[in-house]
Amino acid sequence: MAATAAVPRASSKTESYVDTKRRDDVRQANIIAARAVADAVRTSLGPKGMDKMIASANGEVIITNDGATILNKMEVIQPAAKMLVDLSRSQDAAAGDGTTTVVVLAGSLLKCSLSLLSAGVHPTAVSDALHRLSIRAVDVLHGMAIPLDLSNRDALVKSAATSLNSKVVSQYSSLLAPLAVDAVLSVVDPAQPDIVDLRDVKIVKKLGGTVDDTELVKGLVFDKKVSHSAGGPTRVENAKIAVIQFQISPPKTDIEQSIVVSDYTQMDRILREERNYILGMVKKIKATGCNVLLIQKSILRDAVTDLSLHYLAKVKILVVKDVERDEIEFITKTLNCLPIANIEHFREDKLGFASCVEEASVGDGKIVKITGIKDMGRTTTVLVRGSNQLVLDEAERSLHDALCVVRCLVNKKFLIAGGGAPEIEMSRQLGAWAKELQGMDSYCIKEFAEALEVIPYTLAENAGLNSIVIVTELRNRHAQGEINAGINVRKGQITNILEENIVQPLLVSTSAITLAAECVRMILKIDDIVTVR
Amino acid sequence: MVVQNARLLKDEATEEKGDRARMASFVGAMAIADLVKTTLGPKGMDKILQSTGRGHSVTVTNDGATILKSLHIDNPAAKVLVDISKVQDDEVGDGTTSVVVLAGELLREAEKLVNKKIHPMTIIAGYRMAAECARSALLQKAKDNKQDPDTFKSDLMKIAMTTLSSKILSMDKEQFAKLAVDAVLRLKGSTNLESIHIIKKVGGSLKDSFLDEGFILDKKIGIGQPKRIENAKILVANTAMDTDKVKIYGARVRVDSMAKVAEIEGAEKDKMKDKVQKIINHGINCFVNRQLIYNFPEELFADAGVLAIEHADFDGIERLALVTGGEIASTFDNPESVKLGHCKLIEEIMIGEDKLIHFSGVEMGQACTIVLRGASSHVLDEAERSLHDALCVLSQTVNDSRVLFGGGWPEMIMSKEVDELARKTPGKRSHAIEAFSHALQAIPTIIADNAGLDSAELISQLRAEHHKEITNAGIDVISGGVGDMEKLGISESFKVKQAVLLSATEAAEMILRVDEIITCAPRKREDRM
Repeated sequence: MAATAAVPRASSKTESYVDTKRRDDVRQANIIAARAVADAVRTSLGPKGMDKMIASANGEVIITNDGATILNKMEVIQPAAKMLVDLSRSQDAAAGDGTTTVVVLAGSLLKCSLSLLSAGVHPTAVSDALHRLSIRAVDVLHGMAIPLDLSNRDALVKSAATSLNSKVVSQYSSLLAPLAVDAVLSVVDPAQPDIVDLRDVKIVKKLGGTVDDTELVKGLVFDKKVSHSAGGPTRVENAKIAVIQFQISPPKTDIEQSIVVSDYTQMDRILREERNYILGMVKKIKATGCNVLLIQKSILRDAVTDLSLHYLAKVKILVVKDVERDEIEFITKTLNCLPIANIEHFREDKLGFASCVEEASVGDGKIVKITGIKDMGRTTTVLVRGSNQLVLDEAERSLHDALCVVRCLVNKKFLIAGGGAPEIEMSRQLGAWAKELQGMDSYCIKEFAEALEVIPYTLAENAGLNSIVIVTELRNRHAQGEINAGINVRKGQITNILEENIVQPLLVSTSAITLAAECVRMILKIDDIVTVR
Repeated sequence: MVVQNARLLKDEATEEKGDRARMASFVGAMAIADLVKTTLGPKGMDKILQSTGRGHSVTVTNDGATILKSLHIDNPAAKVLVDISKVQDDEVGDGTTSVVVLAGELLREAEKLVNKKIHPMTIIAGYRMAAECARSALLQKAKDNKQDPDTFKSDLMKIAMTTLSSKILSMDKEQFAKLAVDAVLRLKGSTNLESIHIIKKVGGSLKDSFLDEGFILDKKIGIGQPKRIENAKILVANTAMDTDKVKIYGARVRVDSMAKVAEIEGAEKDKMKDKVQKIINHGINCFVNRQLIYNFPEELFADAGVLAIEHADFDGIERLALVTGGEIASTFDNPESVKLGHCKLIEEIMIGEDKLIHFSGVEMGQACTIVLRGASSHVLDEAERSLHDALCVLSQTVNDSRVLFGGGWPEMIMSKEVDELARKTPGKRSHAIEAFSHALQAIPTIIADNAGLDSAELISQLRAEHHKEITNAGIDVISGGVGDMEKLGISESFKVKQAVLLSATEAAEMILRVDEIITCAPRKREDRM
């Protein structure tokens, strides 16, 4: 294998004027840029990680601890740095959590690659070693994993809580974690127990109150007011709900039309006709027994007019207008009803039933709640509350992470210890493995194995602990066979992390290591940046 | 004699003559070749393409054609090289880097000869003889296993793996090679890659990619419609499903009462209803439209238990029509004359986070869909390009089943034959022939260089090995030495190699012939200033 080692680029027989010096520079510049990105988010890792405030170009301010969000908002232009941003995005898509971890890990691997490169190792050799390492690392993680039963709600709550602990809303983790678990479990289809579609969990944000007031609603919540300008009802029991996609307003044709009015009496007649037309529609609706109307937003014409609202109020029908078209599917799924696109098709069998539809006022706004739905579809709604917009947004992001964590567990029913335990264990086992190998792979893997220790180091650093003392002790404990020993940030010492209930899904760890390795390999293989059209 | 330097050309037009012109084109062409040189071979490097356009989008690629296609190029000779790589891409799909590198090397050798005062035409004549000789050497050595389906299939596998090993898919090359071979064998000899549909979905890893025997459409089923249909009869259409509008400008209706407006609206609704009824009367249970289907017709379809898919893009409906054996309809008055598509089962499936519609048991057995999964869109795009290359090469090989070994083996074979020819040929041409052989050897040299190997040592070993009568020796990049290509299973398609050889020679010839470059005056663009 000596040949793969550092043979200085033997100049090919023909002289070339693209000097290889520049090529190394490109690689180095890429690595440095990518590491700068990793360093930027490094301090937000872990339960005692700090938050970042991001002021965007349009003056909007975001405070977050979520790696994916920070990186998304950073306007990075260097191509290699951009790849790191993409990396955190894919971790977000794959696992939903661990978006900071994956970037910090990639940064550390890059740092290590840089020193390998400067030692004269060929980039492809480094890249191959990294690939072998990532496969082996996944095996190590599988070895550590603890199988999980979905009926074990406690374990699910624990792992959701671990994810929430590093967020702004950590003090609410005892509330949000069970909420996330219940939300996900309620949308799992028994026919396909491995698949969760998070789109079936709707998150409605409403300003006012505190995060404490966040609740899981078995039913539907609209961030809208009931249209009661004409004095319609705001609460209906035993509701028969219709989702309509047509408009209760004067007719409008697609073809351009104009009504010619030549004298005063005609005007009167037209007004009367309009009234009759709408009255006719309202009567038809009433005839089916419907008493709640959800009306889809229309861009072509007014969905409802004052006049139609007035008539609807008269017959005691509760109206919610301006429902987005995208939401129709979710609503119909939840209510177990069919959308109605034409007044002619307004029949009773298309209605949904709920025991109560009411307008509730929360904070400064109002929401419409539909509860007690008959034959409810497998969907659920979470109403998130917060005292200001920043907290609210961060709460939503944290909740999303927690939901993803639970989803990961449903997909892949394994747990793993948190608190830096998996990383230090990987580092230990891979380091041992490197000693069995020969040649370049052995050399590279040994280095990379050490690079994995960045996670416990950072955890300890962020918590204000003496990282060297902590990590060396941790290493020692693992060498003695305590594979679940990890950093307990609260107590500031090493403990068995499983007893502390700090657990995370296996999928988060495995996808973090594979994605980070893949990204680093890609950056290593690049030797030139070409500007193109 | 006083020659007035008369101005022949317009202002700003420039003219370069003789040596200067030749130098300019040599330098341009070689710069291009050097740019892509490092991507050659299994250990070739990637490039970042950074767009200067809006969004500064970033592409990471190893594909020569993609890199060259997107370059800003001013040098006319460099443009010739970009063109040949494009042609190579269209014709055989792979070898796009090799062809440019070979042409660059041929020019580099030619430059030396020109400096020795050998006339370009003599060089061209020598190159031609050499190319002819190299081609016949390849022809002799090529193997054809068409008769034996098993060996043929393993040949295809090897070719696919060789092609993929220089790409991003190299780590999972066996899986992807199998995927590509399966897909191509389904085509049964047709080179129409249209019926292989590639869907990219972010998430998961490359290993999660799979081949599906059927057709997958990345669309949603309308609300309240059946999610699963067996023995589907499909009508593929391109029609407006809002209302048929009068397209005469300024057409408008005048009425004198609200009731009339309501009537017109009702009439419009009825018209739509008629149209939907006509469509349903075709006896279908699945309706796919290229344009939007509005709420009203969607509900009508739902009532009739017909699955309606709206806004399928152009590509989607054309492929769907092709694979289900239907025709794209836009009028529905004669149900007899419309050909419906058929398939056994339509159902909704979930890939990653998204729901897609899956048509299985389609009429045209050749069709299949490859679903690619990967960490990011960069990875997916590059994977698609790599897979496309492999599919192209395989479909070409199915037609022309001659196979060669890879790893620099064909170049060494050719180089040996060409060398012999040079010895036999009297006259100045022999220099050119010799130069050609040098250029051929440059390819294994670059492969070795890219892998960080000692190229000078390896090439001399390889040459010694090839001096024997029968040899399968080539560069084994993995172990870093000379290896037996047959045992390592590294194969290439004859057609690709031949195309590389011939088009590179032709391009070099063309550039050599140039002795004057005239740059026309740029068209004035005052409005931009």
